[in-house]
Amino acid sequence: MKRKVVLVLCLLMTFSMVFANGKGDKGAKPEEQQVAAADDASSGTLPRNQTLYWAGLQWGSINGWNVLSDDMNNFNVSRQAYGTRITMFETLYMYNFLDGSLEPLLADGAPQWNANKTEVTVKIKKAAKWSDGTPVTAEDVAYSYNTGVKIGNTSGNSNKPYIAAVEAKDAQTVVIKAALNSAGAAKNPLMLDNFIAVEYVAQKAWIQKLEARTGGDATKMKTDPAEDVVYSGPYGPYFADDQKVVLVRNDNYWGKDASMWGKLPAPKYVAHTIYSDNAAGEVAFKSGEVDVSQQFNSNVQDLWEKDGLPISTYMAEAPYGICGSLPTAYYNLAIPGLDNVNVRKAIAMAVDYDAIIANAMTNQSPTFDQVPRSTMNPTPGEQALYDQKAVANLQWVGNDIAGANALLDKAGIKDTNGDGIRELNGKKLSFKASCPNGWTDWMAAIEIVAAAGEKIGIEITSVFPEWSVYQTVITQANQTEYEIFMMWSDGSSPTMPWNRVRQLMSSEYVGVEGNWSGNWGQYSNPRVDEIISAIPATTDAAKLRSLYTEANKIYLTDVPSFTLMYRPNCFHAVNESVWTNYPEDGDGQNIPPGDLIHGYSIAGLYTIKTVK
Amino acid sequence: MKHILSQVFHSGKFVVGFCIFMSILLLMIFYPIFNPGNPLQIVSIGTFAEPGIYVSVYDAVDSDMNTLKLDEAPAKRLDSVLKSEDRVKMVMWFDAAGIPVDNLSIHDTEALLTLWEENYDATIRPEGMTKADRNYFQRLDGNLKKVIVTHDKVLARQDPSSSELSVIRTIEDTDYVNIKKVANVKRLPLGTDNFGRDVLKELAAAIKTSIFIGLVAGSIATLIGLTFGLLSGFIGGLVDDFIMFITNIFTVIPAFVLLILISYSIGQDQRGPTTVAVVIGLTVWTWTARAVRSQVISLRNRDHVNLSKLSGHNLFLIIFTDILPYIASYVIMALILQISGAILAEAQLSLLGLGPKTTEVPTLGLMMNWSMLYTAHLNGYWWAYFPVILTIALISFSLNLMNTGLDQVFNPTLRD
Repeated sequence: MKRKVVLVLCLLMTFSMVFANGKGDKGAKPEEQQVAAADDASSGTLPRNQTLYWAGLQWGSINGWNVLSDDMNNFNVSRQAYGTRITMFETLYMYNFLDGSLEPLLADGAPQWNANKTEVTVKIKKAAKWSDGTPVTAEDVAYSYNTGVKIGNTSGNSNKPYIAAVEAKDAQTVVIKAALNSAGAAKNPLMLDNFIAVEYVAQKAWIQKLEARTGGDATKMKTDPAEDVVYSGPYGPYFADDQKVVLVRNDNYWGKDASMWGKLPAPKYVAHTIYSDNAAGEVAFKSGEVDVSQQFNSNVQDLWEKDGLPISTYMAEAPYGICGSLPTAYYNLAIPGLDNVNVRKAIAMAVDYDAIIANAMTNQSPTFDQVPRSTMNPTPGEQALYDQKAVANLQWVGNDIAGANALLDKAGIKDTNGDGIRELNGKKLSFKASCPNGWTDWMAAIEIVAAAGEKIGIEITSVFPEWSVYQTVITQANQTEYEIFMMWSDGSSPTMPWNRVRQLMSSEYVGVEGNWSGNWGQYSNPRVDEIISAIPATTDAAKLRSLYTEANKIYLTDVPSFTLMYRPNCFHAVNESVWTNYPEDGDGQNIPPGDLIHGYSIAGLYTIKTVK
Repeated sequence: MKHILSQVFHSGKFVVGFCIFMSILLLMIFYPIFNPGNPLQIVSIGTFAEPGIYVSVYDAVDSDMNTLKLDEAPAKRLDSVLKSEDRVKMVMWFDAAGIPVDNLSIHDTEALLTLWEENYDATIRPEGMTKADRNYFQRLDGNLKKVIVTHDKVLARQDPSSSELSVIRTIEDTDYVNIKKVANVKRLPLGTDNFGRDVLKELAAAIKTSIFIGLVAGSIATLIGLTFGLLSGFIGGLVDDFIMFITNIFTVIPAFVLLILISYSIGQDQRGPTTVAVVIGLTVWTWTARAVRSQVISLRNRDHVNLSKLSGHNLFLIIFTDILPYIASYVIMALILQISGAILAEAQLSLLGLGPKTTEVPTLGLMMNWSMLYTAHLNGYWWAYFPVILTIALISFSLNLMNTGLDQVFNPTLRD
């Protein structure tokens, strides 16, 4: 009896297996085809000479392709002030951080401002099409903006205070109206420039589809992975998992029209392998598995001088790239001792910036001899905006121990009890200098700041908290935990250098909880606030120059913070094992070294060729 | 005592371990004497200067010069910039630029250089040549210009007010300076690290800190382990059960995990070498306690102990006079292993970024941590990490070797 039961069971199992197989054989379903394509990509069978690989832009797997979302963790959906990434979604204009110019992308021709600078009119290119073949219209621009405001994503929230409305006049014409202040002038016309250069345009029809699917719920709309998204850029989704993200070229891309690029970008696929850390990315870059690296390679020149690898940077000599941002040490002005300007200036004067630049940046930054300190980044465009002679006597170069000691002695800040540390009002000058743990270049800089303190009789000890702790403390309004601490100042963007002056000194950030914007040392000066509100509306070049010069004078006199080094907007190094003819300094193309993805640097995708 | 010492020093293993350990100690003691100063001082601007002898060029040009006529000098000078692969590459450039190279031998230096001088133009962009290659040829051309031009080099001083140049001296290719006559010559036997600090000097200081951490942590661990072991083994009963209960709890939690958690929660600004040493000491005592306990259990029923008990001696007297001397050799050996283990534990912790805070003292682990953060291991800066690894290995190896040697002497069953 038992045997029979077993036999029957066995037979049943065999039959069920046979039938199950039979079902599967009746033709592959779409999902399975996708899996097959995925296998191709993940097993590394992308044709190498048709694929461009990046490194340093994508960490961890992506959450989707939703252009309206802020947390897709997708390197193709990322708005950067120095150039939004426009592989898949496009902006009206492309920002070029080499000269600060705006190149039309979806837009046709230069933006047209009205006489009193309260609105700007942008024409849309007739050729511009979505990936589903429908034309890009002014209505799409308006709807994208309004949706952003409605669901409250970063784009909507940051533009809402400055933009009154984005209106479609006809299919090809969009008018962006500035929010007005009490005097009837635009609150900040620079933010309109920023809007047309940085913000993505999404398709109205797709957004409506998304609204229908989610019932218009803001949170759902922002977290939808948007597998069905419609895009206007040259590349679309091909494959993504926790190992890599691959995009494939849309061969019907509208940009091959003569009114735009006139051809398709060279790589058929663009891909980003997801590396566990910088070291893994560096190894891959050296071996030629990565073409364009956005990672910081210390001593990048060793890669070609010592290792003889076919690697190059935008410039053949130091600083190898275009520096745009200014990593800065802020003084917490609420700390007794640091509220004294002489102490602040003395520390800043004593720091050996050449050592910081050589050690922390391995010379991938101009020195303060080459570009004297100010609120400006080292690009010629920003440097021309202030009168360098007028502030030359205020610009310290650093490592001036004698000068710093003399300054403190003169101010009566002396070591009275003979312990080698100076006292102010009977209190020993002892400070903690911080930056996040593991940020090696910043850590090295902080170590050098601490070393400078020792030489001028001020005790500075370095503390490196974890970033998770650091960021919560630093964004608190009245924190007293960190005394001298590092934060960034933003790189190039259409709102610079005005926004950097604001970031470094505006009192609008004083006492603001969750302050991610700037002035973390809580500096305040009414005259600076006046200058900050005057600059955006100023069109007269001479007036503008005098305002910037005055702001710099105040900044260098009051020393609320001090810049430690210059740093590129993004790192950009290329390995020419597979592709060559990348943009380079002095090639006359004016394409910025933005990894061929940020803003106008995408033009590089149309110039590169495979190595013969 | 003398007898024991002579026995100990007859053990080959102990002597080898002792010699290695002593040489490390000598380095630690004497190197700072010959090379005084703050070991954390930044001496070179820039990261990872290669090991070698650095001669001050500023002083060298002012030193007395001798003229040495050396036939091989020009060839050596050229060889330093023109290697055989450079010659092959030069021919590749001629090819790419469409310059005929028939009858040209790459070993015919003169012909090769003449052709190069006549034709090389940095502005030419041969079709299909990568930027990396163009940069390479520019560097090669620059280097060649430096060595093949036979004009003398002129040293001039600039007048700060008029910025006019006045010639100080001309330097010929046959001028030599005796290195002893140069005022400033800096020997960096192990180069510099990522901050530009002298690695050997830092290493000597780091050995000191690490051995300090080892001694403190080892002593704490041994002391706790010994106390618990003695009490639990000798008293037995409920006390034994209780102490073993605690010991077992500590045994089942991996010591290193505990170490990481405690170090993390202390926070970096509080972590000095002493704190780290105490934390290590507090987490690794368990096996000493267990081992001492078992030794004591085997001792406590010996006749002399019973006699002592009958004589009315109190607990501590019995432990100190009748138990401790019998396990002293074992405790010393345990201490040695604890020291070695603590040095390794510090290195491991620091490598994870949980060691002592950085600015005040160098430790072996911190040196490794920083060289790893600066990817020294990927970029061939071996001098920044390899000597450190070697030192850790040697300290640990020598201590273990001494321990084995002692074991052979004190434990008759292990004698050959």
